[in-house]
Amino acid sequence: MRVLAGLFALFLAAAPAAAQPVNTGHLTAELVAERQAIAPGETLHVALRQDIQKGWHTYWRNAGDSGEPTRIAWTLPPGWKAGDIVWPAPSRQPTGPLMNYGYAGEVLLPVALTAPTNALPGQTITLKAAASFLVCEEICVPEDAVLTLALPVAASPAAPDPRWGPAIAATLAAAPKPAGLAATFARAGGRVTLAVAGAPLAGADMTDAYFFPFDGTQFAHAKPQAVERGPQGLTLTLTPGFAFNQGAGPSDVAGVLTVGGKSYEVDARPGPPPAGVSGLGPPPVKVATAPPAADLGLALAALFAFAGGLILNLMPCVFPILAMKAASLAGHVHDAVEGRRQGLAFGAGVMAAFLALAGLLIALKAGGAAIGWGFQLQSPPVVAGLALLMLAVALNLSGVFEVGQSLQGAGAGLAARQGLAGAFFTGALAVVVAAPCTAPFMAPALGWALTRDAAAALAVFAALGLGFAAPFVSASFAPGLLARLPRPGPWMDVLRKALAFPMYGTAAWLVWVLAVQAGPEGLARVLVASVLLALAAWLFGWAQRRVAEGGRPATLVAAAALAAAAALVAALWPGYAPPAASASDAGAQAVVPFETWSPERVAAAHAAGKAVLVDFTAAWCVTCQVNERTALSTRSVADAFRRTGAVYLKGDWTRKDPAIAAELARHGRAGVPLYLVYGAKSGEGVILPQILTEGLVVRALEDAQGR
Amino acid sequence: MSLSRYALVGLAALACAAPAAASPAIGAPAPAFTAVDGDGRARSLAEFKGRTVVLEWTNAGCPYVQKHYGSGHMQSLQKAATTDGVVWLTLISSAPGKQGYVAPAEARTWKTSTGAASTALLLDPQGRVGRAYDAKTTPHMYVVDKAGTLVYMGGIDNRPTSDPASLKGANNYVTAALADLKAGRKVAIAASKPYGCSIKYAG
Repeated sequence: MRVLAGLFALFLAAAPAAAQPVNTGHLTAELVAERQAIAPGETLHVALRQDIQKGWHTYWRNAGDSGEPTRIAWTLPPGWKAGDIVWPAPSRQPTGPLMNYGYAGEVLLPVALTAPTNALPGQTITLKAAASFLVCEEICVPEDAVLTLALPVAASPAAPDPRWGPAIAATLAAAPKPAGLAATFARAGGRVTLAVAGAPLAGADMTDAYFFPFDGTQFAHAKPQAVERGPQGLTLTLTPGFAFNQGAGPSDVAGVLTVGGKSYEVDARPGPPPAGVSGLGPPPVKVATAPPAADLGLALAALFAFAGGLILNLMPCVFPILAMKAASLAGHVHDAVEGRRQGLAFGAGVMAAFLALAGLLIALKAGGAAIGWGFQLQSPPVVAGLALLMLAVALNLSGVFEVGQSLQGAGAGLAARQGLAGAFFTGALAVVVAAPCTAPFMAPALGWALTRDAAAALAVFAALGLGFAAPFVSASFAPGLLARLPRPGPWMDVLRKALAFPMYGTAAWLVWVLAVQAGPEGLARVLVASVLLALAAWLFGWAQRRVAEGGRPATLVAAAALAAAAALVAALWPGYAPPAASASDAGAQAVVPFETWSPERVAAAHAAGKAVLVDFTAAWCVTCQVNERTALSTRSVADAFRRTGAVYLKGDWTRKDPAIAAELARHGRAGVPLYLVYGAKSGEGVILPQILTEGLVVRALEDAQGR
Repeated sequence: MSLSRYALVGLAALACAAPAAASPAIGAPAPAFTAVDGDGRARSLAEFKGRTVVLEWTNAGCPYVQKHYGSGHMQSLQKAATTDGVVWLTLISSAPGKQGYVAPAEARTWKTSTGAASTALLLDPQGRVGRAYDAKTTPHMYVVDKAGTLVYMGGIDNRPTSDPASLKGANNYVTAALADLKAGRKVAIAASKPYGCSIKYAG
């Protein structure tokens, strides 16, 4: 049948170059020419075109662990010559535990064709090619076709074929060629290192670097190839095949190196590596899912930011701040006008804080600092200051001291129950403390914003602020809602004192964050500062009562100011040193043992064929902490890690870390949490949602083991 | 206390989960294995200690296997070897539902249906034996000498194609290895690149 089709094509003598495609079952094959005609003595390329059914593939010159390369047997008129196939760079076709090299979709296999000098212009010659190829999905089918191409002979070189000329030219241009690369190989232990250096490799993206050997006996195709980068090139660590166990082993390792989307022919001899092929570590592991930040427009990013801001109100981060909001609401429940003004002031505080933080972040980033969202809580003095502020607010709510007219402007107390400044400040504080962790929708929007210009970024942050403030501001405009609350009375004082406790909790949390950042030394300092602040608050409260009785307690006020100043100094100065203990000690003893994240560790795990879960977290990110306690440190997750052999890596962003900031940015993120799961075989990463469940983590690990 | 206990259990389990099997190597003891035949009888390599053993991976749906069986070529190799006292074990590592998988009932009639002259057909639906030998293709051939040492692994011959015409004049590496062993020589070609279809492993 195929032969008949071929013969039929033979009789179609149409001009210019003409051929009939043949469907061999799982692909359509045809011969196509680079030019419309060939001149006597000219060399041009004809190509075997394979249009392969989806899911099936044909093979490269080294098919890998199984399979067979495409072959072409030419029948040409006397004097005509056809060269070898110019093999385009293949792609990896993993099947189960095996690795094959080949082509999927559409591929052109060009062959140089030379006309004899005595070819007669005006004549049309027929090229005949018996092509045989193995085409495989999971099963393999050998197929073949006799293909013909009628090619006119012209006196002078003809114009490119309009349909196939550009495609063949592009295939030839992209085909791997020697590029003056220096290459050597050496046996090291049970491995073979292949070192390649040269101008095309300097600064290239080596994420997907891969060596396709020409000889199928030299290397174990299915074994991962560990990549070490250098300023001038790279070193690949390969697993030798049986050719290395015969005699002295091969004297020549040749093949195709693909780096950063380009391919080069490499011919390596035994010897020491050329200069500059190592020292920069393995490349960061590629994530298959494109960062969503890439294609968000401003409108969509702003919409995402608004939605993210709304959802942020429901994130665990914000729970402590709800107490402040509630206290603020309760203060003016039955005065609609005042309520609205308070609501708007809160909203203004939120917006101002978001824009100020964003402006600062953009300015610092422009200055070259590798920081991201939540950066304010990476600074121990800021955390210590906030902890004291929270304590002061809590003491105020407990009634230790009042913020009022009697001692205007003295000390802390900006988060007063009443007053527009208080509402404004509550909004600002909510943002500073609660916004560092990112909510769903918010992450891609922030990631997008921080890679754009300042105006676009500020617009996105403004949308985020609007979303965050919207529920509270709307509530203050809903008198029906507020009217349901009881009349003002003693209950308000009880509520206020009760609401002090979430604020104590917030202060305790910040103290814990500081302990993580600065160790026991830092913890001791902030506790001393807290006691001094409590003393100051108590002295100040005493002074206030004396004033109410008509006294002039100058000494008490001075003592309170002194204690408060001492508290501030203890908390803020001098700077905090990082804790001595390394995280890895703690990691081995955790319920689910973890190691410290580094790109090298991810690459090493991938080289060992293990799946990896990377957890980018921070002590100040409450969402991260909730996930770690409810979803990442349970028995069934520990079991899943054990079962799948997956590696658990933690990147702790509690303190500043440029490497983590850069990795977050690579995934289009500006903050934590970020959870990545890399497949055991493919090494490709997927991003998990920001709110984890036990089942979700277990499924992700099982999925990663198999891909 | 309990935290560190969990951690220890976790670490120990991770250590156990690490792949222990090394790839088979020429000159090293052939990996031991046990697999069931069509009657559900467990057959092991140890059972044939003191005899030369040929291992042949097969998949009846594979065009490369069909090249050797369709022409009666594989059957005559098996016959010649077993007549000479060699044990010939044919293995199927295709997972259930995949090409080449043979259920025990079919395995019992396999010899009659294919005319094979193997000593036994062994079923490895989980791919344990296949993975222990790093078997990649069908056919993929191994020869184990009387001392249990792996002396050949690789392709059946030097014609990596499914075209039956290629059998004529092919250099059959298994025949050559068996001849070397019989003559008390070192196996001249101890390894070659296996060719054929990928083994349809589970997972």
